[in-house]
Amino acid sequence: MIDPKPSKSVGIIRAIQQGESVPTTYHREVGEEAIGDRSVVEIDRFDLWYSAAQALHGVSMRIPRGHVTSLIGPSGCGKSTLLRSVNRMNDLVDGVRIGGEIRLGGESIYAPDVDVIDLRKRLGMVFQKPNPFPMSIFENVVYPLRIDGENRKPVLRDACERALRSSAIWDEVKDRLGESALSLSGGQQQRLCIARAIVADPEVLLLDEPCSALDPIATLRIEELIHEISDRYTVLIVTHNMQQAARVSQFTAFMYLGRLVEYGPTESVFQNPKLEETEQYVTGRFG
Amino acid sequence: MTATPSNQPARHQRRTPPAARGETATWLTGGALVACVVLIVAIVALIVYHGGKTFWPRPVESVTLNSGETFLGVPLNSEPSEATGGLRTRYRVGNRDLGQESFEWVDRTDISESAPAAGAWYVEREDWGIFLGYPEAILLYPEQASDAQPPQALAEGHEAVREAFDRLHARAVQRRNEIRYLNDVEAPGLQHRLNEIEWARRKVEHDRESERAGTGLSVTLWLALMLVGAGGVWWSLRLSARARRTSRADPLRKIRQLASIATLALSFGLVLGAALEHPWAGTRLSESQVQSRLNTLEARTDRIQEELRDTLDRLRTLRQDDARVRIVIRDPRTDRIAPESRSERDTPLRLSQVIRVVPGTDLSFGDKVGVYLSRWGEFLSEEPRADGAEGGVFPIIVGTVILTLLLNICVVPLGVIAALYLREYARQGTFTSIIRIAINNLAGVPSIVYGMFGLGFFCYFLGGFIDEGPSAPLPRGSWWVGVGVTLTLVVLGAGATMLSTHPPGLPPSKRERLAKSASWLLWTGAVVGAGWMVFTSPYFSGFFGHKLPESSTMGGRGILWAALTLALLTLPVVIVATEEAIAAVPNSMREGSLACGASKWQTIRRIVLPSSLPGVMTGAILAMARGAGEVAPLMLVGAVNFAPALPVSGEFPFLHGDRTFMHLGFHIYSLGFQSPDSEAAKPLVWTTTLLLILIVLILNLVAVFIRTKLRGQMSAASI
Repeated sequence: MIDPKPSKSVGIIRAIQQGESVPTTYHREVGEEAIGDRSVVEIDRFDLWYSAAQALHGVSMRIPRGHVTSLIGPSGCGKSTLLRSVNRMNDLVDGVRIGGEIRLGGESIYAPDVDVIDLRKRLGMVFQKPNPFPMSIFENVVYPLRIDGENRKPVLRDACERALRSSAIWDEVKDRLGESALSLSGGQQQRLCIARAIVADPEVLLLDEPCSALDPIATLRIEELIHEISDRYTVLIVTHNMQQAARVSQFTAFMYLGRLVEYGPTESVFQNPKLEETEQYVTGRFG
Repeated sequence: MTATPSNQPARHQRRTPPAARGETATWLTGGALVACVVLIVAIVALIVYHGGKTFWPRPVESVTLNSGETFLGVPLNSEPSEATGGLRTRYRVGNRDLGQESFEWVDRTDISESAPAAGAWYVEREDWGIFLGYPEAILLYPEQASDAQPPQALAEGHEAVREAFDRLHARAVQRRNEIRYLNDVEAPGLQHRLNEIEWARRKVEHDRESERAGTGLSVTLWLALMLVGAGGVWWSLRLSARARRTSRADPLRKIRQLASIATLALSFGLVLGAALEHPWAGTRLSESQVQSRLNTLEARTDRIQEELRDTLDRLRTLRQDDARVRIVIRDPRTDRIAPESRSERDTPLRLSQVIRVVPGTDLSFGDKVGVYLSRWGEFLSEEPRADGAEGGVFPIIVGTVILTLLLNICVVPLGVIAALYLREYARQGTFTSIIRIAINNLAGVPSIVYGMFGLGFFCYFLGGFIDEGPSAPLPRGSWWVGVGVTLTLVVLGAGATMLSTHPPGLPPSKRERLAKSASWLLWTGAVVGAGWMVFTSPYFSGFFGHKLPESSTMGGRGILWAALTLALLTLPVVIVATEEAIAAVPNSMREGSLACGASKWQTIRRIVLPSSLPGVMTGAILAMARGAGEVAPLMLVGAVNFAPALPVSGEFPFLHGDRTFMHLGFHIYSLGFQSPDSEAAKPLVWTTTLLLILIVLILNLVAVFIRTKLRGQMSAASI
């Protein structure tokens, strides 16, 4: 196979491997003029260290409102770390230090006067492994409302139904809301977790490889679901699965070893990448 | 060059040696398990057998010796005799008040004849154990003891006595219970109320001498000061609310918070000073006030003394009635009758002294079962008699169960909270590891050490403090300086804590680390200071000082202190079990909850604690089993041979933490080793042991049942 493109970009990967700092390649569609004030999360030269090891190197990106943005890249490239930095779940890890900024709706989330609990109430998160709480399906869904002190039964019931309908699981569980959530199947549990994440109308929904523990059919259902809710929520999804990124997202960011390498509309990142390494990764020849 | 087979390295022949198959290991491990199970089954079977057979009635034999002597006895067991080489038999002969041992070994060779003793009675009495003899008559004595006329026979001869007995005995039992109630409950209750009044009178006398008992003249001033204090609290709240609204980055925020705390501390000091000193209220009780109080008490004393006299009168009449009906039972060996008491050997037994009569022979199986069950009923529901060798163990069961429950109420919350901090909040490092190791080691400290600590700390120090206040109070001036220092430490500590909090994402600066160490030191100092101030306060002279030195209330051994001592003893068990349960809650649950916007405490309250409840129950079960079975520390801090009253009653405060109590474990010890007739008490030791095991089993089963239910709620049908 002869590469038609110049081999300049391979040099970028090597530079990254050698620890040099390289500029991110942005497509025009994600530039400041193109997104403008439609960006909901702005990541600005963000660094993160786990004790001595640096996991993120000066990542800068704007995440547009009302779209699905996927983070792709080989294992250990910092996708999940970046995602968890947005709702400050990394605070729970001992010895984490940060540099740079992340802004949500224009306000820095790492400023000293930010209440982490209030911040997390504005974001919904779904984890790699379904993690329903050991309580009934109903209580699981309304948990975020309960902790806000909402105890009015009708309000909770309405919110529960809306969230379960949005996450396309209402028909399966509507007759067994009182049963333990642990009695559901893996795919149902994950959709329940999505319902829990959206019940309080978050500004951004963070999905951390939501399908990696599921079988293909459950994966398909979740993907359909992401597609359906993408017109109402801004979604940031981490995925290992190229096809999934191509299917569900409008924007894609390719990361490598803690650096953001290329960021642009999904279509052009997959079909017309600016860097050869991106092409090699999305076609499965590297990573 | 071609390789010949001989040149090739010899191919390794793989084989499995017999030892690798582990047949021996199967036998070894299985054998060890069998040995353990056999030991446990054997001990349980032994206890069940001996404990169960105690109450089964056995036939009485009439034994004639070669010497011509005839006696009644219940044959128990036989063994080879060292003297003659033949067999010898042990008889239970009872009749201890006639001057004989209640058990007797007799060589078979000495016996000329032994036969079932038809017509003999096995009599269980209130005192002196059992009596074996032949019933002769039931007598009715004349009303006046001085009358010379002889007693009238209500029934005479064996058959007549047997028929009359049932009818008369029921009435006698009723009389006995009535006498017992008047004597043990009503009269002491009245006496107790008289004592209380006497104490109240003494308190009034004490107040008469005191300068500070009266209400002050300047109630207005007092109210004004309280208002100032309330204003301080209000101002402090306002400041803290303003601080909350201030941006976190603003240094003014910390200043406002600190000012809020300082205001709170200041107003607290002010109100405390006003409450304790009220310097302007130095009036004595007026003489007329003292007199009116004394008069009220006097009137109450008279009323109660009247009641007491009535009660004693009724008691006397009842006793006279009771003394008229007596039963004559004759021992064939000494030809003496069962006496009323050891000193009145010729007065027949009062009918009411008989608890139960079991015919020596001719009992059908149904009768035997009836006697057996009735004896168990008595054992479970009656109070002990004759130093526990007779009667029941009801107060002992109550004492054990209450102690165990109280212990759990103390230990479970404390242990769970400690474990939560250790697992959820504390940073996992060397220091937490050291604490964890220390807790584990505490579980191995001999329990008697806890007993001594409990006696010294809870009973004497803490109880003494509650009773009569600090033993060495500071002079007022120094005490107020101490209070001031403590409050300053609180304010400084709060300031240091504020300085030590730093924004996330950055490592703590040197100043912040310094402030953190300082805040630890200052807060420790504040806590120590507060404790010291409490225990050296010149203003507190105890709640029950006026009862001293005749009777200490909390400053002695009691069930509350015993429960606290055992709580300390079982605390490691609960902490370790809870910690394991908390650690077993998957981290994904915590992350999920935090990602939903829950605070750490909400996560603990709603996710971690419910999931670890079964583990907490396991800790409680272990603590319960240990607490119910522990004896050594209880001997020091509150268990007694005979407690005059139950630790619970219908009187306020219903649960009396200051009362001593009886405990099954201690009861076993005192029955077996301290009973005056230990041979007779031996069967009861077995039965009490059986009962103790049953109670522990029941308590555990209840806890296990609750735990299973909780587990069921946690993880429904399938995962």
